[in-house]
Amino acid sequence: MHYIYLVAEKPSAILAATLLMMPALVSAQWLNYPTAGVPKNPDGTPNLTAPTPRTADGRPDFSGIWDTPKNRPCPPGGCPDQEVSQEFVNFGWSLKGGLPYQPWAAELVKARREQNGKDDPGSHCLPIGFLRLHTDAMYRKIIQLPGLLVMLNERNASFRQIFLDGRPLPVDPNPAWNGYSTGKWDGDTLVVETNGFHDGEWLDRSGSPLTSEAKVTERLRRVNYGQMEVDVTVDDPKAYTKPWTVKLPLVLVLNTELLDDNCLESEKDIPHLVGK
Amino acid sequence: MKMAAVAAIALAASISLSAQWINYPSSGVPKKADGTPNLDAPTPRTADGKPDLSGLWLLEKNLPCPKDGCPDMEVSREFVNLGWNVPGGVPYQPWAAALVKARREQNGKDDPGANCRPTGIVKETINPFFRKLIQLPGLLVILMERDTVYRQIFTDGRPKLTDPLPTPNGYSIGKWDGDTLVVETSGFIDGEWLDRVGNPLTESGKIIERYHRVNYGLMELEITVDDPKAYTKPWTAKVKEFIQPNTEMMDYFCLENEKSISHAVGK
Repeated sequence: MHYIYLVAEKPSAILAATLLMMPALVSAQWLNYPTAGVPKNPDGTPNLTAPTPRTADGRPDFSGIWDTPKNRPCPPGGCPDQEVSQEFVNFGWSLKGGLPYQPWAAELVKARREQNGKDDPGSHCLPIGFLRLHTDAMYRKIIQLPGLLVMLNERNASFRQIFLDGRPLPVDPNPAWNGYSTGKWDGDTLVVETNGFHDGEWLDRSGSPLTSEAKVTERLRRVNYGQMEVDVTVDDPKAYTKPWTVKLPLVLVLNTELLDDNCLESEKDIPHLVGK
Repeated sequence: MKMAAVAAIALAASISLSAQWINYPSSGVPKKADGTPNLDAPTPRTADGKPDLSGLWLLEKNLPCPKDGCPDMEVSREFVNLGWNVPGGVPYQPWAAALVKARREQNGKDDPGANCRPTGIVKETINPFFRKLIQLPGLLVILMERDTVYRQIFTDGRPKLTDPLPTPNGYSIGKWDGDTLVVETSGFIDGEWLDRVGNPLTESGKIIERYHRVNYGLMELEITVDDPKAYTKPWTAKVKEFIQPNTEMMDYFCLENEKSISHAVGK
């Protein structure tokens, strides 16, 4: 399975290598600059189980830098690249029986696996879409504003906007990689609906498809200061026999910062991506 | 070509999307008596009394189109040549002057932007796409329509990096000088183009931006290039940006359906 890492994780490899090269001096200056407003334990360490922070209007505040749990064990010889989550490789790994593919989609995923995922848009430095950004091993920063939630992703230094200002979803939108997202509060949970996807997106390294007919619902909840849960429901009858839901936890990271990762800068991997 | 496609899409989309998404009303826009936006209203301010630079902005398109119309999107003179208005011309080092001449002769075919690579903060600022500024305590975020990339400017007092890992956007810190936000950026990768003619920026270059929101509708921005390796002295371009109420950014990806680069040929 190493190929899956190798193909998928080339920018991360560069990132990991560059992080190692960063001199200690820089750490203290920028990447380790202290995060403001962190609740502390009596011994001065961050209290990650402190209550969920709230905005002036009393809503939970999702703002912060978040990371995926690295729940995929490395081979005995060590990870060949950055550690990733199981969902990054197979979005439906936690579901009994896996994702409920339509027959053509099951065939497609089989073929994509056999071809080492060489046509993965992400491996060709195209956008990977926000669902995969949820499972991506790189950091994301959430900025919550009145009427707008912004997600900044280290990968390709890209952003996504979720509008909370009451605008309706577009009826016949020009397809976009991240689609069009609006959010509404359901108690302390932010419910985000997205439509208008670009056809041909990959949900994971295995190549699980997402079609232009998909509707995606995310339920975002900040459990406490240090933890967030994102429940993702994909309703894409063209590719899947029924809607399915996956739970994606995120953990807060402190005293660090996003470091731009540009896939297309010094790109060296594409000639090595070969199939059968 | 790609810009033409975006324009066509925007036109096609405007009918069904109008009032739904792209034309959804911006909140908090000051109004005139007749209900239209009052762009001359005073500069908004944040809770701490500083000018609030937040909003969706577009650079002034001051390059006139030919008589038979623009062949592509309207752009600014600065997009073509950031230093077009510098008294006495851009103060090139000899090698940089020769490089820009060669790049012009080659129709700029190696422009990173034309090849869908990251274009860096200067070209991101002077391109004809929307930019959204979000001002927070300690941080200014700029979201850019082109390739949906962001940029962070830290205003939380962290020091400049002394030996940063080079990136296309470098590392930006901002400080207030009265009502002007002064942003200093360094740590660039080598080989960036500042504009279409190919004015170079080297890895030892520094960019100083001075953001001054004159009123609700107008931002004046000075961009100073301080790069002794490429230029004999620092030089400055002055541009204007206009607020764009009641509209929104649409994702634009250079690499998506890219058809132009094979037509970009030199001599």
